[in-house]
Amino acid sequence: MSEPRADYLPEAIREKLIHDPRVAEQDLRVEVHEHRVMLGGNVASPQLKQQITEVARELLPRYEIVNETTVVSAAEPDGEEPVL
Amino acid sequence: MIRIAAVGDLHYGAGSQDILRPSLQHLPGRADLLLLAGDLTRCGGPDEIKILADELRGLPLPVVAVLGNHDYHANREADVRRTLESAQVRVLEGEATALDIDGVRLGIAGTKGFGGGFRGAHGSDFGEPEMKAFVGHTKMLSDRLEHALTALEADLRIALLHYSPIEATLEGERLEIYPFLGSYLLAEAVDNAGADLVLHGHAHHGAEKGRTPAGIPVRNVAQPLIRHAYNIYTLDAHRQVLPAAAGGIS
Repeated sequence: MSEPRADYLPEAIREKLIHDPRVAEQDLRVEVHEHRVMLGGNVASPQLKQQITEVARELLPRYEIVNETTVVSAAEPDGEEPVL
Repeated sequence: MIRIAAVGDLHYGAGSQDILRPSLQHLPGRADLLLLAGDLTRCGGPDEIKILADELRGLPLPVVAVLGNHDYHANREADVRRTLESAQVRVLEGEATALDIDGVRLGIAGTKGFGGGFRGAHGSDFGEPEMKAFVGHTKMLSDRLEHALTALEADLRIALLHYSPIEATLEGERLEIYPFLGSYLLAEAVDNAGADLVLHGHAHHGAEKGRTPAGIPVRNVAQPLIRHAYNIYTLDAHRQVLPAAAGGIS
């Protein structure tokens, strides 16, 4: 399959990141500027962040992949909320 | 006082080992039960859910879960459920369970739920078979939730969902995807049956707090949103609850 037109490239990357089982993330932000792919959003682990970079790089080997996703904390909460 | 730990959208898969485990060690002293609001796996693979089940197995407190859309992706949701149940996790889909905690009977009714949108802009089961199937699925699950909640005999009742029942906990998400994030039919089911708290996940970029049109508190516990291993909510079964029309519960 040919490389998608530039207009549709962010969606092609998003689709790949959703359907590749190494990532399967539906909530990543994807922007493409010239030959640079910018990725953002929250991820659960450093390993997942690395896999996102790898999957994007496999799809677009000629592009620079800038992975700015944030690894979110899984620490215990400080307090509790009374709701009733 | 009942202490409820809740989280959704853990998205366990390869490399997720021990993300939750350090925070689970102190959970028994901080909460009476743990509720999981779906999307427990990345793609619904049996190998993925086994990683989480191994971390939950042996926890000395009840764990109750619903599945999420990710848990259905591999068409192995029955295996996902069985693996969780083998770790003593109670999985709900249109079902309810009740627990006795310090003399209080706590009921939990759960469903994955589904999308469709919200009041004034909800899809209809009209036209193509695909559209009928989409909205029909939401209607079916909402009906089952209402029946499960209504049948619960308990001092406190919780509705555990994956999809959102209200728009308020979606604020921060793109408006265009609201129909894929939840449905008002879930809120209507909860308001018809009555409940003390609604928990859901699915909306990673949403907001944490809202309430149904009848005033029932709703909390979005998607892990990427709450940025903790879980949140803890307390409910006092002896507190006088005001009717929603008179101001509702706070």
